[in-house]
Amino acid sequence: MRMRTLRADTRTPHLADADTVATKSANLSPVSGRFLSQGRFAGFLLAGVGAVGRCIASALAFATSLNARTPLVFVAAALIVLFVGGFSYRVVDEAGKSDALVRHSHRVLQNIEHLRLAAVSIESNSRAYIITGEPAYDEARRAVIAGMQRDLATLRERTIDNAAQQRRLPALERLLAERVQLSDTAIAVWRSAGFSAAVNATRAERNFALGAELDTVSRTMRNEELRLLALRADDSKRRVEQARMTVIFAALLAALIAAAAGWRVYRDSSQRRAAERDLRLSEDQYQALVQGVEDHAILMLDPTGVIVSWNTGAERMTGSRAEDVVGKNVSIFSLPEDRRSGAAANILRLATANGSHQVQGVRMRRNGTLFHVSSTFSAVRDAKGGLRGFSVISRDLSASAEAGAKYRGLLEAAPDAMVVVNQSGQIILLNVQAEKQFGYRRDELVGQPVTNIIPEGFAERLIADGVRSAADALAQQIGTGIELIALRKDGSEFPIEMMLSPLESPDGVLVTAAIRNISVRKAAEKVLAQMEGRYRGLLEAAPDAMVVVDQFGEIVLLNVQAEKQFGYRRDELLGQNVKNIIPQGFAERLVADGLRSAAEALAQQIGTGIELTALRKDGSKFPIELMLSPLDGPEGVLVTAAIRNISIRKNAERHIAQMEGRYRGLLEAAPDAMVVVNQAGEIVLLNLQAEKQFGYSRNELLGQKVTNIIPDGFAERLVADGLRSAEEALAQQIGMGIELIALRKDGSEFPIELMLSPLGGAEGILVTTAIRDITARKMAEAQLLQNVEELNRSNEELGQFAYIASHDLQEPLRMVASYTRLLSRRYKGRLDAQADEFIDFAEDGANRMQRLIQDLLAYSRIGTRGEERREISSELALGHALMNLRGAIEESGAIVTHDPLPLILGDETQLIQLFQNLVANAIKYQGPGVPKIHVSAVLDGAKKWVFSVNDNGLGIDAQYFEKIFGMFQRLHRREEFDGTGIGLAICKKIVERHGGAITVESQAGHGSTFRFVLTAA
Amino acid sequence: MAVSEIVGVPIEVLLVEDSLGDVRLTQEAFRDANSNVRIHVAHDGVEAMAFLRRDGAFSAAPRPDLILLDLNLPKMDGREVLACIKGDESLKLIPTIILTTSDSEADIVRSYELQANCYLSKPVQLDGFESLVKSINDFWLTKAKLPQQPPIA
Repeated sequence: MRMRTLRADTRTPHLADADTVATKSANLSPVSGRFLSQGRFAGFLLAGVGAVGRCIASALAFATSLNARTPLVFVAAALIVLFVGGFSYRVVDEAGKSDALVRHSHRVLQNIEHLRLAAVSIESNSRAYIITGEPAYDEARRAVIAGMQRDLATLRERTIDNAAQQRRLPALERLLAERVQLSDTAIAVWRSAGFSAAVNATRAERNFALGAELDTVSRTMRNEELRLLALRADDSKRRVEQARMTVIFAALLAALIAAAAGWRVYRDSSQRRAAERDLRLSEDQYQALVQGVEDHAILMLDPTGVIVSWNTGAERMTGSRAEDVVGKNVSIFSLPEDRRSGAAANILRLATANGSHQVQGVRMRRNGTLFHVSSTFSAVRDAKGGLRGFSVISRDLSASAEAGAKYRGLLEAAPDAMVVVNQSGQIILLNVQAEKQFGYRRDELVGQPVTNIIPEGFAERLIADGVRSAADALAQQIGTGIELIALRKDGSEFPIEMMLSPLESPDGVLVTAAIRNISVRKAAEKVLAQMEGRYRGLLEAAPDAMVVVDQFGEIVLLNVQAEKQFGYRRDELLGQNVKNIIPQGFAERLVADGLRSAAEALAQQIGTGIELTALRKDGSKFPIELMLSPLDGPEGVLVTAAIRNISIRKNAERHIAQMEGRYRGLLEAAPDAMVVVNQAGEIVLLNLQAEKQFGYSRNELLGQKVTNIIPDGFAERLVADGLRSAEEALAQQIGMGIELIALRKDGSEFPIELMLSPLGGAEGILVTTAIRDITARKMAEAQLLQNVEELNRSNEELGQFAYIASHDLQEPLRMVASYTRLLSRRYKGRLDAQADEFIDFAEDGANRMQRLIQDLLAYSRIGTRGEERREISSELALGHALMNLRGAIEESGAIVTHDPLPLILGDETQLIQLFQNLVANAIKYQGPGVPKIHVSAVLDGAKKWVFSVNDNGLGIDAQYFEKIFGMFQRLHRREEFDGTGIGLAICKKIVERHGGAITVESQAGHGSTFRFVLTAA
Repeated sequence: MAVSEIVGVPIEVLLVEDSLGDVRLTQEAFRDANSNVRIHVAHDGVEAMAFLRRDGAFSAAPRPDLILLDLNLPKMDGREVLACIKGDESLKLIPTIILTTSDSEADIVRSYELQANCYLSKPVQLDGFESLVKSINDFWLTKAKLPQQPPIA
């Protein structure tokens, strides 16, 4: 029922107008007007009440949805209210309408009155105008006329629905028009004819009659309208009364209904309250009951399995408090695998389907411990049968004396297939794993003979026969893992290992068999066997003797080499204690004693080569080296020992030791200090001499850096750097005598000479150094140098001296010689014969002296004025010399020949001198006949030329061969041969200066050959 | 013109030599070689320069046509004298011959460096010496053209 909205229609202004008219014309229908407006309001209120009432009703209906009747009632109530509301609305509307009509009539009356008055006004105004002549009256008249026209139009409009009135309209109009016309005429007359004529016009009977007619018409219309009005007013009143009654009635009805509903609601809610109270009460009682139960877990779940309530018993059973579990799903107590498989939900489904469901199973507490329960899940439904949740009552079977149930739980939970068999070999119980393993369903196996799944090996074992009781038979099997073949439903076989355990039951001894599928293990065992085979092969093929020993020292495996080494056959050694072949040192090492485990004991030996003595079958012993390695075996750790015969090595070692001893001896005995240094520059060995030399004791030097005693020059030489290896570094030094400075303990230094030689050592190359104290030598060297220097100096001085002496002697000598010559020239023959003789001797002496000094000078110059040796042509030098001697050659008629002469290294001037002297000598000491001189040269080796100057002169007696090369040595008297005797000395000096030697080969009377050696160029 | 061509005018030779024995020998040798030669002797370098410059006692000394100069002189060494002579505008024209016992290369070079006109080593033997003097006379006083003497200043 919607609130009525005010519609904008043509009626509205009328309504509004009517309101104002109504209030203005209060006499007409004040009550109905006010009431009407109030009635409308009431109508809205009613509708509103109805709506609210219905809302309340529907709310209550919802709240008390269980009660189906109320809605129906309420729907009826609503309908009634609706109807009543609609009806009252219509009534009020009608009232309103009639009220409107009343007002309409009022207006028409008003209109008519206006028109009548207008007619009167026109006349009076025109009269006034005529009388007074004031334009105001005329203006007023015109205004009224205009208004009158308007009113007419309005009247016509308003009476459109009334035919009777409409009929009278034209008459009215006519009359009114006539009135206007009359006034117009009157005015026109007045205007034209003046006042009195006008007065005459207005007094006409028509005027008066017109007025009467107008009155009549307007009165008639009025009456008609009044009659209508009365009718309408009556009608209106009647309707208003109707409306009032209706509204009152409706209101009453609504109140009644509301009261009824309210009472109903109240009744319902109080009923419900009472019911709730009862419910709570019963719940409390229930809770108390439930809580009181301690040995059973009683819990309530919601339809999804979430724990809603939790009693003490549950708390005891699970160890979880209510606040910890309420709100969580009951599956938190399932085993993980059950949780995964949704077992709890399954159970709930079953319970839902069947109303209740009992299960036994293993559950897990929050702390992880397991417990066995027997639980009954019951679906709880509401009155309509809808699932409200579940109640669960659980009994802890772990504490129960019901062995069977507990046992059953364990069985189910077991990871292996478990089959319980009675003494007749029938399967009485099995678990889900068994079902899986064998591919049967539980019911297919229970009651069947166990031979269906384990054809052989099980049932037989259980038989209590004449020899033994069941218990005994069983006892034999207990604990042993029996390997058998099992048979699946599909006929396939698989290897199993069975472990039996007895179970007392009221029906006698049962046997629980745990059956494990060992296919995998079998496969592994096969692989292992294969590997073992391979290992065995390796063992056999090994070049060393290999012996595998267990923890007790028993030989479990050996190879053919071991047989050979020890001289035993294989079977003679297998099973024997290893001490038989290795008396000491091996078995002990393996013992797991209080200090270490077998593994640790072994670990200590791994990788180390242990040297021991082994014993052959024939009793002979030989040295061995053991290398151990562990080997995991099924029976524990085994030790594989590789045994190597090290007799040879031992011998070698002995030799080495011997040699080392000898070496050491040598070292000690060496006259020089001997120090052996390793690559790091540390002294690893030294001898007594070294101790003495350096002033340290042996221990003070061993391990020290060699730089402590030889600061520079030694250690560096040994360094293997990026450029060279240690060997190369060393190789560079070998054989060289290296001069260095050594440092004694007291800090004093002394010069040494090192001689290095390498020594291959076990730890790398060692360097043996012979250290010789060369102080003495150094001193001698220094001395020698000094001497040489002195000698040189003195030679130089001598040279200088010789030069100076001869040079300075020249002067006075020249005087003597010159003047004696003058004397001789001027006074010879002028004085007596004696004087002549004296002068001769003096002259002679002076001349000789001059020549001596010249020769001496020449001799001394050979050393002092010698040039650097350079490549010169000996042939040219000879030529020069011959040029210098041409006088003598011509004079003597000597024939000088020569062979082609080589290029030699020498001083040209001196070489010329050499040739000159020799040739001059050859000419001087000529024999009878023409002197023949020949010069030749012969190559000796690669670098030496042997020159020969051969003559046919007098020859020289052998005894003088040495003498002739001496200074101022002559073999002939002065009278025989002139000369100072220095010529050959000069030759000798020249040749010696050229690094050669001069010799003579001669025989008296048969000429001479002078030979000298010069260096080839 | 050759000095010897000027008849009647003696040839003035200055001998700078400290050894009296050598002086005499030289004199004797020149006497044999050329009688027209007048030997003036200066016994050391100082004397030589004084003579050449006509200092003091030598104010009337003639200008020599030839100078024979020994190297080893007391007071003023021959090399110095040589340098002085050859450094002196008025003296340098005079041919200066080194006449010495030394035959060292160093002396020879030095002498020529100092503009000596000639270097001669005295032979040890008399004959050789006489021959040398003859050669000097032959060459320098007979064959060689010497510059005319400037008028006496």
